Amino acid sequence: MSLTPPTISGTIHAGQVCGPWPLESSSRASDSWAAQWLHAWNAFWFAPADPLPLGLVRIATGILLAWSSAVWLLDASAFFGTGGWLPAENVWRMNDQPWQWSLYFPFSSAAAVSWVTLITLLAAVLLAIGLATPLAAAVALVGFISAANRAPLNVFGFDDVLGMLLIGLVVGPAGAACSIDSQLWRSRGGCRLSSRANLAIRLIQVHLCVIYFFSGCGKLLGASWWEGTALWGAIANLQYRTLDLMWLAGHPLVVNGLTLATLFWEVLYPVLIWPRLTRRLVLAMAVLVHLGIGLSMGMMEFGLVMLVANMAFMPADTCRNLLFLPAKIPPTVP
Amino acid sequence: MPAVASRSTPPRAMPWSVAARAVLSLALCFYFSAVVLAPLAGPPPASELANWLIQPFRPFIGGLYLGHGYRFFAPDPGPGHSIRWSMQLSDGSPLKGSIPDPTSDWPRLLYHRRFMVSEKIAAFVPMSDAPEAIRSKARLDWQPLVKGVAGHLLKEHGGTQITLTLVEHFLPAPEEVLRSQQDPDLLTPLGTYAIPTDRSR
Repeated sequence: MSLTPPTISGTIHAGQVCGPWPLESSSRASDSWAAQWLHAWNAFWFAPADPLPLGLVRIATGILLAWSSAVWLLDASAFFGTGGWLPAENVWRMNDQPWQWSLYFPFSSAAAVSWVTLITLLAAVLLAIGLATPLAAAVALVGFISAANRAPLNVFGFDDVLGMLLIGLVVGPAGAACSIDSQLWRSRGGCRLSSRANLAIRLIQVHLCVIYFFSGCGKLLGASWWEGTALWGAIANLQYRTLDLMWLAGHPLVVNGLTLATLFWEVLYPVLIWPRLTRRLVLAMAVLVHLGIGLSMGMMEFGLVMLVANMAFMPADTCRNLLFLPAKIPPTVP
Repeated sequence: MPAVASRSTPPRAMPWSVAARAVLSLALCFYFSAVVLAPLAGPPPASELANWLIQPFRPFIGGLYLGHGYRFFAPDPGPGHSIRWSMQLSDGSPLKGSIPDPTSDWPRLLYHRRFMVSEKIAAFVPMSDAPEAIRSKARLDWQPLVKGVAGHLLKEHGGTQITLTLVEHFLPAPEEVLRSQQDPDLLTPLGTYAIPTDRSR
């Protein structure tokens, strides 16, 4: 699959607005406060944007969902079947919301649960390569929610974030860049900047800020985060440990520093991720924290899915530079 | 960051009509209300107001799998848990195991999926020194879950009777590591279960 994105310049149809100047009217100092808010709201959510970052998020999410589905498939009957870890009649004890539907309720035989999981795996692969992307994204989301709602005894943070990403991919034109779809339909031309791409990437960005905000606030409830010892609790937990960092027992100030840095980074993430001046620092810290969790606690899937979500904050121009793609879009102001 | 507008550039029309943007804006407000209310009203402590506000959103939250607290490693990273089990097979021979089993649960994601079984059940089980009234009340919550796990293990291994024990693994403080101190794990019996009647003793 070629990673060449569709060209953007020179493909604007008459009457179709898809330049990098999406504001109906620029916000002026003379505008009322309410009008300025409206302009900002419209620009934030609905301005057409380069679909490349969404395409990259799609590839990574598809791979992670395919891997997750493959692992479900290793013991599908135990996770989703009638004689599994959690009998269907007890699922409500773990799911505290109504309408927590699942295809695994009607399709509960050993063969049926394997087929549903296999279809989800296939949809995830199609999503990753970007073939029949809208259908693949919808099927992947249905399969994902079915699994998560049927096996609440076996899900964790990885699944919370994967679901958030899939919703964004269903909403946006996830196959508009870096996909087989975009290569197949290239001859149709037309505008490639997309308001839906912007909407989808904004959904992921804002949801990610909500996640970090509540994760940070939750940590503020714990004394060990204030004392700077919380990271030790993760390091010394044998059930998680994949990297022996017990030597840090002799370096309490290092543990203090790492704990407090993690706490402040997480609490401030929803604020500091937006200014261009601090965004790179916040993203660099995200790489350190999540790779650290992945390597030392054996939670690589969780670490990776958080990094994929953080990819939503990568500017399209940066994505193009990293992939050695031509910068077809004029310089922009965030 | 998506490519967005420059203030120095000429104004253009938005690609969607005002009506479409208004509808989408309402949908966005609804969606993010649900996203925010779930953790706000989720794990305790939570306010009565948040619990009241979330009610109309609950079907949407449940339907889209949005009901998360996002309290990763919070409020404090605690000790890890596993469930030890010993089983009597149909031929009378014994079999022992653990959930999760780090020696056989591979790949790591499979280990974590099974690890969650013991972690989530442990969240329902009070400390062994808790008052009897609290332990009796909590048993109504965790026992059906443990019965399901016991039934699954009996079926998987062809056993006739199984005894399960929740293990809270010793989490050493740094100074205990430096002293090479190793305290015992805390054990909480989860009961003995048998087929076909799933009797709990």
